[in-house]
Amino acid sequence: METFFPMLQSSAYKVTSPATIEYNCIAWAAGDTETWWWPDPFDQYFWPSGILREETMDAFVKAFEFLGYTICRDANCETGYEKVAIYAKIDGRPTHAARQIDSEKWTSKIGSLEDIEHGINSLSGDIYGEPIVYMKRPKR
Amino acid sequence: MKYISPMQQLAVVPVEEDSGVGQDSKIIRRYLEDLTADYYKPLSRQWANPAIRFSNLEKEWKESTPMLSSITDIVMHPSYQQIIGMGPTAIPLIFLSMRRELGHWFWALVAITGENPVSIEHRGKIKEMTNAWLDWGRKQLYLE
Repeated sequence: METFFPMLQSSAYKVTSPATIEYNCIAWAAGDTETWWWPDPFDQYFWPSGILREETMDAFVKAFEFLGYTICRDANCETGYEKVAIYAKIDGRPTHAARQIDSEKWTSKIGSLEDIEHGINSLSGDIYGEPIVYMKRPKR
Repeated sequence: MKYISPMQQLAVVPVEEDSGVGQDSKIIRRYLEDLTADYYKPLSRQWANPAIRFSNLEKEWKESTPMLSSITDIVMHPSYQQIIGMGPTAIPLIFLSMRRELGHWFWALVAITGENPVSIEHRGKIKEMTNAWLDWGRKQLYLE
């Protein structure tokens, strides 16, 4: 894991599941462990019905709005709310999403690998870019 | 004097039809000949072997992309694109790989075959997608 995300070397992180290809980070952030979510143009993978199938931040924000989230200002923990962070590369293309656990920890599914708990910036780098957009919804 | 390895020696022993050599021995001899030939075959010729080429490309692709969630990034990897470039030759090799291990082969299969047997309700369900393609492969006689 540290090979792909060097910043994990200098921060606490924990593997919390076995590796599986059956769901990805977007599904995990959305609370789904049975589906790979991605707006691929070949229409092969799941994407919420009616949301534009394109790799833009706008499409990803709309997908999470579909789940009841609204854009918020930052990664700070807010009582009564759960948050997700959407990562993107410098060109704006979304790459990853993480879900907040508490003020320190976030949880992510890493591609076809495991779920991990990590700091919000521990996955930043060449592969995922940076967390760009934060969204929240009332805890369910 | 030229060195001849034990394997080469075995491979070049003449076998007469009436020499009393059993069928099993003949099969083993044929395997040894193939092994010897493969051992001395230049890498460039191994590359021309679709199964070896596929295996090398698959390995590179799987090692380079397990941390990715973006299907676009996964399938745009150069090794995956080269597998698509192999065309119909790659289809049975993809199905064999799918039977061994779940993988994101759907784009390649759609690109090569022009078909899409995955139903809308199974989009993103990797096991169901795989089963749909394997069923298609059996119907098209790519698989037993």
